[in-house]
Amino acid sequence: MRAAFVIAVRILRQRLIDRSAIVFAVLTPLGLALAFSVLIPNEFSSFRTRFVVVDRDGGTAAHVLVDEVLGSLVEADVLEYETMTDEAAAADAVRAGEAGAAIIIPAGLDAAIETGRPAEIRILGGEYAVSLELARSAVSRFASAVGAVQLMVATSTALGDADVPGAVVAAQAAIHDPAPIGVMDTAIARLQAGLATFYGAAMAIMFVFFATQYGALALLSDRQVGTMNRLLAAPISPASILLGASIASFVMGLVAMVVLVVATTVLQDANWGSPGLVAALVLAAVAAAMGISTLAASIARTPQQAGGLNAIVALSLAAIGGVFIPVSQAPESLATVSQVTPHFWFLRGIDTLASPASTLADIAPSIAILLAMAVVTGAIGLARARRTLVA
Amino acid sequence: MVAPSIERGPAAAPSPPKAAASTPAADGVILACAGLVKRFGARTAVNGVGFVIGRGETYGLLGPNGAGKTTTISMVCGILARDAGTVVVDGRPVDIGTIAAKAAIGYVPQDLAIYPDLSALENLRFFGRLYGMGGRALDRRVDEVLTVVDLRDRAKDRTEQYSGGMKRRLNIAIGLLHTPRLLILDEPTVGVDPQSRNAILESVAALSAEGMGILYTTHYMEEAERLCDRIGIIDEGRIVAEGTRRELVDLVGGVDRVSLSIAGDGRGVAAEIGRIEGISSATARENGIDVLVAGARRLLPRILDAATRDGVAVRSVEVIEPDLESVFLHLTGKALRD
Repeated sequence: MRAAFVIAVRILRQRLIDRSAIVFAVLTPLGLALAFSVLIPNEFSSFRTRFVVVDRDGGTAAHVLVDEVLGSLVEADVLEYETMTDEAAAADAVRAGEAGAAIIIPAGLDAAIETGRPAEIRILGGEYAVSLELARSAVSRFASAVGAVQLMVATSTALGDADVPGAVVAAQAAIHDPAPIGVMDTAIARLQAGLATFYGAAMAIMFVFFATQYGALALLSDRQVGTMNRLLAAPISPASILLGASIASFVMGLVAMVVLVVATTVLQDANWGSPGLVAALVLAAVAAAMGISTLAASIARTPQQAGGLNAIVALSLAAIGGVFIPVSQAPESLATVSQVTPHFWFLRGIDTLASPASTLADIAPSIAILLAMAVVTGAIGLARARRTLVA
Repeated sequence: MVAPSIERGPAAAPSPPKAAASTPAADGVILACAGLVKRFGARTAVNGVGFVIGRGETYGLLGPNGAGKTTTISMVCGILARDAGTVVVDGRPVDIGTIAAKAAIGYVPQDLAIYPDLSALENLRFFGRLYGMGGRALDRRVDEVLTVVDLRDRAKDRTEQYSGGMKRRLNIAIGLLHTPRLLILDEPTVGVDPQSRNAILESVAALSAEGMGILYTTHYMEEAERLCDRIGIIDEGRIVAEGTRRELVDLVGGVDRVSLSIAGDGRGVAAEIGRIEGISSATARENGIDVLVAGARRLLPRILDAATRDGVAVRSVEVIEPDLESVFLHLTGKALRD
């Protein structure tokens, strides 16, 4: 065991000398956390957008659309809007990115509704797809309500027993009334970590693969520079050499993870959850990354080959595992495949920890699967490495 | 005078070389290996090698590149798994996983085995700790070996800044650090300047004088003659002869070696010389011919006559008293430098 620590210290010292330890375990995670703190807020609900509205009609229906429909979004602190008189100016505002969308209300809207003629409310969208979708949704909601009123009036007229102008007035009033039957979309959703926490965790699990590769790379480097024979000739077991490399990998990975967790907590107010449970999840994730890096390196013959292979593995697993696109937004097939990656289980564990009431039992499946990945891949990788040591 | 052991003939079943009367007494043995075999696929790199080294004895494994020297000592050090045979160092068997026996061995590999991004001091401390050393004892010993290899002034510099000779000296210092009872040096002077080479040879001689058993591999005949108490001549994975220098030289029966330096292909001329009565052998090599002959001075005119008959220009002629090169030529039919 002593020999393993001596070897681990030597590897870490070499990584400090060539600065790779500082770059991969400290500077990169810290830089990512800083970048996130500038670019990414920690809450999805803080989404806000801005519309411009050109009202060429000025009638009752237009007021309902602007004051009631868009007004509800303003009250929800999602939207602010500005009215303009010139459509070209509105289009310019969208084009310049000053507004997410423009809503153009045509002249004669009220008259068209009253007489049952078609009318067209146009939406101009820019580069912000979410803003355009919000505008489309709001106007569609308004158009549906108006369509329902028109149908009711037309039905009354066709029956011939109604005071038509009175029905129209009643219908216009009905627009303001709450619908007798409300429909609420309800989805059974899992808990989700805040945005900063999610991306912090996603970057952490991706970068830990780069940090944990150094132990395995050190073994290949020892073979390349000839020091492996000297290590094998020393009065230590080959297992000590492998264990020393593994300890160095583990320390590098752990430092990278801890730096990202602490930095995103301090800089972005990320909420990772209970420190003890986060620590358990982080340790399991580092072990899994270490196992996979060791397996990847055991296939390579040179440190250069191993570094390239590890990068391919790390980025591929990150892409599949929901680092770049959250699994919840990915196609079902990808969501299924992602379960073979440690990234999926780590991020799932972090999501679970978003609930203050979560316990070790809640994240136990994630930890168990991460450790199983560590044992299986690490055992195969170390066995392969040992076989090449004593060929 | 003690008769040396000789093993010749086709490489069939592996068998250790015959015991020589000059081998050390059992209680003075630091290394005993027997029947070592190592195969790489269909190729047998080492085929039944065995020898014994006494305490304070320097044993040389002399052979050309590819003869099996490095493979043999890799098995002796427990670096390489063997297919057959036994290795016992200081009374303990050596294998890949053994620890106690390896503590008695100091290993200096042929290729530099140092960390270029660490200083000499850091390299020595690291390997010292692997041998269980630590604290002041380690610092003191590091200082001693740095003095022996004359690197104290540059001890804190990264070794990537060292000259080739300095790296070689550090390579040896690491092997000496834990004061081993058996020092194994694998061609330690390859690529070394003459000054450093001489310093290395003097250090090895001094260590031997202090009682350290030394296994020294080389393909330089002069080094083997200068350093080694006994020599095993190895070729194609087998020890073909073993003994003291005198014993080995006696094998060639007092024949001299005539070395002709010529321009061009000497194979035809060698065949011509070989037909002269009294010539033991004539072997062509690059730009030259080696002739083994009893009474070289008497037959020299006929040798030169045969050489120049076909219009070959002889640049120089050297008559050499019997040496290890002659022995190797005599036993294998080829030169050490082949």
